[in-house]
Amino acid sequence: MAMASQPAGKEAVARATAAVSAGVTACAAYDRPDLARRLELAATSLAEPSVPVVVVGEFKQGKSSLVNALIGANVCPVDDDVATAVPTSVRYGEQQRAELISGGDPPTREPIELSDIRRWVVESDPVAAAVEPEPAGTERGRPVGVEVTLPRKLLSGGLTLVDTPGVGGLGSAHAAASLAAASMADALVFVTDASQELTRSELDFLIKARNLCPALVCVLTKTDFYPHWRTIAGLNAKHLRELGEPPIIPVSSTLRSQAAATGDTALNVESGFPELVTFLSAQVGGGAAQRRAATAAGEVATACTQIEAQFEAERAALENPEQAQRVVTELTAAKDRAAALKSAAAKWSQTLTDGAADLTSDVEHDLRGRIRGVLAEASDAIEKSDPADTWHEMESWLEARVAHELIENYTMLRDRAIELSERVGEHFREASGGVLDAIAVRNPEPMLVGAKIDHKIELERMKVGKQAMVALKSAYGGAIMFVMLGTLTGITLGPIALGIGLVMGRKGLRDEKKRQRGARQAQAKNAVRRYCDEISFVAQKDSRDTMRAIQRQLRDYYTGLAEEFNTSNAEALQRATEAATRTKAERTKRLADLEAEAGRLKQLREHAMAVTS
Amino acid sequence: MTGLLDDTRAALNRAIDVYRGTEDGERLRQVRTRLDEPLRVAVAGRIKAGKSTLLNALVGERLAPTDAGECTRIVTWYADGHTYRVEAELTDGDTRQLSFTRDEGVIDIDLGGLPQEKVNRLLVTWPSARLRTATLIDTPGIGSLSESVAQRTWDLLSASDSDAAADAPADAVLYLLRHLHSHDLEFLRTFHDTEASQPNPVNAIGVLSRADEIGVGKLDSMTSAGKIAARMATDPVVRTVVQTVVPVAGLLAETAATLTEAEVARLRRVAELSVAEADALLLTADRFVDRMPELGITSTEREELLNRFGMFGIRLATSVLRHRVASTATELAAVLTERSGIGDLNHLLRSLFFDRRDVLKSRSALAALDALTRAAPRPGSEAVAADVERIMASAHPFQELRVLSAIRAGWVTGKSAVLDDLEHVIGGAGAAIRQRLRLTDDDGHDAQRAAAAAALERWQRRAENPLTKHELAVAARVAIRSCEGMLAELRRAS
Repeated sequence: MAMASQPAGKEAVARATAAVSAGVTACAAYDRPDLARRLELAATSLAEPSVPVVVVGEFKQGKSSLVNALIGANVCPVDDDVATAVPTSVRYGEQQRAELISGGDPPTREPIELSDIRRWVVESDPVAAAVEPEPAGTERGRPVGVEVTLPRKLLSGGLTLVDTPGVGGLGSAHAAASLAAASMADALVFVTDASQELTRSELDFLIKARNLCPALVCVLTKTDFYPHWRTIAGLNAKHLRELGEPPIIPVSSTLRSQAAATGDTALNVESGFPELVTFLSAQVGGGAAQRRAATAAGEVATACTQIEAQFEAERAALENPEQAQRVVTELTAAKDRAAALKSAAAKWSQTLTDGAADLTSDVEHDLRGRIRGVLAEASDAIEKSDPADTWHEMESWLEARVAHELIENYTMLRDRAIELSERVGEHFREASGGVLDAIAVRNPEPMLVGAKIDHKIELERMKVGKQAMVALKSAYGGAIMFVMLGTLTGITLGPIALGIGLVMGRKGLRDEKKRQRGARQAQAKNAVRRYCDEISFVAQKDSRDTMRAIQRQLRDYYTGLAEEFNTSNAEALQRATEAATRTKAERTKRLADLEAEAGRLKQLREHAMAVTS
Repeated sequence: MTGLLDDTRAALNRAIDVYRGTEDGERLRQVRTRLDEPLRVAVAGRIKAGKSTLLNALVGERLAPTDAGECTRIVTWYADGHTYRVEAELTDGDTRQLSFTRDEGVIDIDLGGLPQEKVNRLLVTWPSARLRTATLIDTPGIGSLSESVAQRTWDLLSASDSDAAADAPADAVLYLLRHLHSHDLEFLRTFHDTEASQPNPVNAIGVLSRADEIGVGKLDSMTSAGKIAARMATDPVVRTVVQTVVPVAGLLAETAATLTEAEVARLRRVAELSVAEADALLLTADRFVDRMPELGITSTEREELLNRFGMFGIRLATSVLRHRVASTATELAAVLTERSGIGDLNHLLRSLFFDRRDVLKSRSALAALDALTRAAPRPGSEAVAADVERIMASAHPFQELRVLSAIRAGWVTGKSAVLDDLEHVIGGAGAAIRQRLRLTDDDGHDAQRAAAAAALERWQRRAENPLTKHELAVAARVAIRSCEGMLAELRRAS
């Protein structure tokens, strides 16, 4: 199924591109630069698509080797011991280039040598990196990612491969970051090696990830090395049954690399990679391309609708001069409605403003509740143990817990934002439908079709994430990073002066031990509270910023649309008024012209409609 | 040392009197019996960490079944005995003898229709010299997809403070790590020293298992594994829970211990190929099974070789045979054993566990006793508690162990060279005098005496130096006693 849709997707994109470029010409010819601009944007997104595919999995399962073998270049460092610490994204570019992205406000980018990536991407020393904070006063912020561009055919369709650090158990902050990445991805490649069947924590991670990104493939690596990989694949298939049976692709990165070095195609087939490449291409050429093509085609249809609308009004006035006055009257009334659509008092605008306010407060409330839950749990845990023994674990536990609550909170924000975006779209369509109806007095039928397409596209749009998702992509990055950088490290419990009392283990010291333990517990609780306060503060700012960005995007988008409708309406009104003053001969000639124009537009619309069929 | 065991037994006897007639009394009698039994060492770790394979390697026989999928689902004890016997201890307390067959050495136990969840543990009695030193406990892996299986291991090892403590089954544990994993640490912490309520490295050794797989088949895999293990052993968190980490290729060790001439003959055919041909054949496991039928080894035999050696093992063994480093099964077994790292592990087991078995066993017994007197006080139990406290506080080996865990917990601070010296002197790297003084086997009696005297002087100086931090000074006094003990022992020996 996925394989069959690949050419379909490519063809759809080609057809959409043709339709969009015809649409741009038409808009220019009809003197509607505003519509042309929108179509040009659509053309750009068709020409330079981005299909992020995130590679996730536990430590040392061969994620980096897999990415390297896929693109046939040693981009992601592979090592027996040290693991990948920051994500590396690889996408198409005519030049081979690498850029280091460093954290900070704002993040900085600097070009680096491809051979230098290793320095930034791997954990310098996994233990030290986890324990010691980055020395203060370094010039750049901490590296948060590396972006590589490569001239590879596989990537030319817009495929962006993202190699991520190992998950390290579902209950870790890294897992939260991987899940966040999954929610942005068009597809997820879950990597597990053939040394053993899926573990509980891997499966838990998959269940969560699947909810965030339904296009999932499970890649079984190192099949050259583990003779029992077929047994493992079978066991994994059994475990994945409850997950809707995502495909399992067994591969050997070693074979693939060797095949690339020797140009041995049979070896390449044996490596299992062709199947994975097909899957990825299907993601790029299939689903994602279809969606992009549909969106672009929808834009063309909308433009056609608007231009047709003005012609229809004119034709109605020309065909039937007695009716002309009525048309003009109706259009004048519609003009007010179109103007109202633009104004802040319009229903969609109200929905947006209110919805955004509600959403912001709900999300904040949710976050507060979650953090309070974490705090209560933490206090409980501290009460039950001696922080002197457990503080280190406590830190990582707290980071992971908070990261997960943030993800849940973020998921809520995301779902609700999409819902809001759909509701606003709905209200806009209700109102604008009326406007368009009024414009096309005589022949409402094409409008209906147009409205239907519009509707479909709007829903699609929200799902592919053109509107809300753009803002969401940056959302919570700050807070998650904040969690991951381990701000707790700065909080110490003071000198642990009890030690030797315990060393000698006398009972007489028990009371003193108890007292000191109490003091440490209070200290620990305070530290946790301070940490949670800071997290809440950062997360709250993040979610507010995100919400504001979403609101701004939606408002700009629909205001723009309203503006276009307004222009269409004004144009129609002018033409209808003119029509009333024309002579019979002029009318006949103009009608013939209009007939021809309508034919052309009809053709264009049909092209656009055919894109996704 | 025997003094400690005697003291512990005396305390137990008194406690048994106090708790006579109660359920606890019966349990204490079991604790007392344990003092005379071999040390109990549990092999634990995440699912598919290679626990059963390592156990087989340690026993030197293929006893425990191993498989590609999840395998061990019931806690299984392997103990020395006069006869070959398998018993099942049921959840309701009954025991039942089970029949078993051996398939190429592996014990295949017939549960006789018993549902798995009804079986508490299996007890395999097997006459074996290795098992005489220690009873080995094979555990189901944590992180298993079937919750009840994982729960068994938790139940077994995480003896809580109250009633279960008296039955804490393992005196020491080999913890198998594949990669450092948060679950691993949580798991390790179940071996808390109940007295100090502190995660304790004194009775745990970390094993970086399946070490041959680390380089995914590269011949230098074991070198990488060694580096990784060394790095893990310096991790402050790991240090608080295990004494050290060693890499072991369990499969290699198991196979080496049970290698047959027939297997070597088959491997030799591969070794006789040209390097290019052999490389092509050994490129993947599938190719090894399917290609070059002219070799005269059937695919079943090849699959069997893969099961026994793994890809790394076959590559290593054929390369050893080709370069004539070894030619017979005995010689090859010696090379594989050496490469597998099992020797290092055995050495560690001896110096850290077996040489200290009395201390570890007393420690288990006293911990059980201490927990009991607190959980179920009775008339007379206070005196028992006082006994326990006296032994715990005064017995020098315990003080050594406590200082060791204090160093590992980061309570005792100082220059790393000083702490390293301290760890050695108090027996952190092994209880034998040579290990404490970091001497080699070549160093004779006089050299040992000189080194011990030097250490004594060094630690006296540190203890008396007013600038020494309080914690280190207290630890130094323990070190002084360790040095005095060594000198006394050396005097006795001369």
